[in-house]
Amino acid sequence: MPVATSLTDGLHAIVGADGVFTGPALAEYRLGPATPHAVVFPRDESEVSRLLRLAWEEGLAVVPWGSGGHQSLGYPPSRYDLALNLRRLNRVLEYEPADMTATAQAGIRLADLQRHLESGRQFLPLDPPLASQATLGGILGGNLSGPLRCRYGTARDLVLGIRVAHADGTITKGGAKVVKNVTGYDITKLYLGSHGTLGVILEATFRVYPRPPAEQAWWLSTPELEAAHALAIRILGSHLAPSRVELLDGPAGRACGSPAQGPALFVSIAGVPEAIRAQANDLARMAGEFGSVTTEDPAAPRTWAGLSDFPWLNAERNGKGHGAIWRGGVLPSDCARGMRAIHEASSEWADTAMAASVAHGIVRGTFRAETPEALARSLAASREVLAALGGFLVVLDAPAPVRAQVDVWGPPLDGVGVMQRLKAAFDAKGILNPGRFVGGI
Amino acid sequence: MNGSGLAPETRTHLIRSCERIVGPEGVISAPDELRVYECDALTFYHRVMPDLVVLPTSTQQVADVVRLCREAGVPFLPRGAGTGLSGGATPDAGGVMIVLTRMNRILDIDVPSRLATVEAGFINLWLTNAVKRHGLFYAPDPASQQACSIGGNVAENAGGPHCLKYGVTTNHVLGATVVLPDGEVRQLGGKIQDRPGYDLLGVFVGSEGTLGICTEVTVRLLPQPEAVKTLLAVFRTIEEASNAVSGIIARGIIPVAMEMLDREIIKAVEANVKAGYPLDAGAVLLIELDGPRAEIEAEAVGVEATCREHGCIELRVARTDEERALLWKGRKEAAGSVGRITHHYYLQDAVVPRSKLPKILREIGEIGGRYGLIIANVFHAGDGNIHPLICFDLTTPGDLDRAIAAGSEIMKRCIEAGGSVSGEHGIGHEKRDYLPLMYSPADLAAMLRVRAVFDPAGLCNPGKIFPADRPEGHGDRNLQSPAMTAVSDR
Repeated sequence: MPVATSLTDGLHAIVGADGVFTGPALAEYRLGPATPHAVVFPRDESEVSRLLRLAWEEGLAVVPWGSGGHQSLGYPPSRYDLALNLRRLNRVLEYEPADMTATAQAGIRLADLQRHLESGRQFLPLDPPLASQATLGGILGGNLSGPLRCRYGTARDLVLGIRVAHADGTITKGGAKVVKNVTGYDITKLYLGSHGTLGVILEATFRVYPRPPAEQAWWLSTPELEAAHALAIRILGSHLAPSRVELLDGPAGRACGSPAQGPALFVSIAGVPEAIRAQANDLARMAGEFGSVTTEDPAAPRTWAGLSDFPWLNAERNGKGHGAIWRGGVLPSDCARGMRAIHEASSEWADTAMAASVAHGIVRGTFRAETPEALARSLAASREVLAALGGFLVVLDAPAPVRAQVDVWGPPLDGVGVMQRLKAAFDAKGILNPGRFVGGI
Repeated sequence: MNGSGLAPETRTHLIRSCERIVGPEGVISAPDELRVYECDALTFYHRVMPDLVVLPTSTQQVADVVRLCREAGVPFLPRGAGTGLSGGATPDAGGVMIVLTRMNRILDIDVPSRLATVEAGFINLWLTNAVKRHGLFYAPDPASQQACSIGGNVAENAGGPHCLKYGVTTNHVLGATVVLPDGEVRQLGGKIQDRPGYDLLGVFVGSEGTLGICTEVTVRLLPQPEAVKTLLAVFRTIEEASNAVSGIIARGIIPVAMEMLDREIIKAVEANVKAGYPLDAGAVLLIELDGPRAEIEAEAVGVEATCREHGCIELRVARTDEERALLWKGRKEAAGSVGRITHHYYLQDAVVPRSKLPKILREIGEIGGRYGLIIANVFHAGDGNIHPLICFDLTTPGDLDRAIAAGSEIMKRCIEAGGSVSGEHGIGHEKRDYLPLMYSPADLAAMLRVRAVFDPAGLCNPGKIFPADRPEGHGDRNLQSPAMTAVSDR
């Protein structure tokens, strides 16, 4: 669609001619059936503010954009005029190793941020899927996490303060640059995981942690999933301080490098070498109690990345033609029960691979099936069995015909009315990522 | 003072109706009995009696009382154990106080998933005691943990000495059953994590009872560490001790607690409980490590070396639980011991980036000198969370005003240093006029929009957090004007 000259002029006036793309470049910004009129690349927060002000006045719908890696999440936007690409806001603004805090702009790639924090031998302990490309803003907006949350928690535990551009261009901050702070509402939490529907994250201040001097990992395999899970619960309730405890079914294990064919537990422990040795002995003893075979993982860092990226990247691609990936939650004590129930509910229609971060009861997986209908049935049946355990399932990525049959977010949860009122209070004209989040927010 | 100006017939109607909801034994309306509720642990600053106090025993009763208040247009506020330090659980101007101390049951302990659900009036320390036999504990440990309630901890996002490693209340609360200001009961968060939707629980924790009343709370429990090591390092000056704190962090060591006591506190503690602190010390630093035994043995070597590098003159390591308790005793009794050196004190709470500790402590010393007041310091050094105790005498005319003025200067210096006016006590009534020093009008307007969504009628704990001159619930009026598009101060 050609862009109205007056709009292009308005955008050029704010970000310069080289900061606006139209035409064929827009293909990669397509979401569902919708393609924006333009993608804009602001250079600083004041340009973001002016762009939003323009969008607010003209009623243009704006989709904030980082690397785009997780844009499959959610419904397609109900309206879509501008993609707001934040990749030029990519600086580390403050880093004080002695305070264990850092402030960076939203468009910085996590990998680049980590390189910066190397200078203080520290890191931001977030390991979301597709971390090599993911931007800070995207990770925070989606509240993305990975296996490392077992030890360090999620963005909501790490982010201390935030700067946000609101729908009308107003810029506000929440929180502070200190590790403890009870001053007014902890409004920062609202923006984390809000998928850009309440405001555009400009920068964030977060806790960083010392890089552990060493880290080692093991595969603990058992014939049955339930035994591996019971071992995980035992480890998590013990004095061991693991960084990751991942429960994988056979297909997920094989995709992520497990030496066993069947179910496996992946455990990594970080710290000083003598402490790792001592804990490794305890781990082997516990594993023995559960009849588990322990194998040290030789390729640890590569395996860690593979586990984070599962099932986005490394799930088995061969076999049936249509794929979907999903994420669900159950009680930590229900991980094996949930995984087995999903397997039983979906095996008639689809091939399955699943992994669970046991400490937090987060299960993620992939289905591959011959037809979109079979995929949709697998997802719906799996959602049902998790719901029976009090849990939930969110579809992260699936072909459009599947989305037409399965609600990607699932049934509305308690408090959705409050959420809708918050959306209306923060974005009365509904211009920020409209229609993409739960309850049509 | 009884300030709401409730019409007598309205008050009588509320008393009768509340009695019907919770039973006559759950309603307090006699003035001499109401006096117990005229302040929280901020005792000299703000005293206002509620019109009546209701003590419900179930979520449904709380919801019924809230609906009653809403229909009558009468303000209401929740209160737990009343140990808060910022006046948050004291009425702004009368109204109905809903006290949750009778809701004090454990509802569920899930050992394999390491979760517990308790009623809001459940006492913080009871929780750790209740799960000890399963090898678990509840991490947030505010100084008042023997008395304070979990619901109050949620309202204030309570911290404590051990949150340096483990985080504060918000990092441990997974779900809450909440009575919203319209009387609706909602479940925010829950035992199962990462449900899609806005993090309403996250904004509720620390909202000081202004977004609703939580009646049940689900928290995360942690496994007890294999070993604990407690060290006490004595320094000639507080500057050296502060540098040691930064040095320990710079080595990549995160102790579970790093607590500092200055010369004045040491004097008071020794006069009171004889913890064995050397009287000629400029500062005492209490450091605790916990975790796998081999890990903390290695860390202890690093801690000792760092303390010695920074001029530590004496280092003690607790070898037994009794010795550990003795090292902690002085810290735990610190505020209570200050009575030995002053008639009254004003306990402040603020945060600076850890690296700014030496600077802010120097400035606090100067401020005390200028106002002619002793300011003693005991604080969570690892977090940069300071607690100056400003000593004064209520019987000396002008002393209280001077103490408040000195406190105000300290707050301003902390903000200048990139810090915050409250690390764990909250804003409440006490600090609401400081909030604009930290946040721009647009920042505050965003918070007020949240308030207006939860409590459009402005009846839920009014007069707290936000500056008094800003009409509640009218944030949007300012926010939409062009003036509000200004960029807030960084």
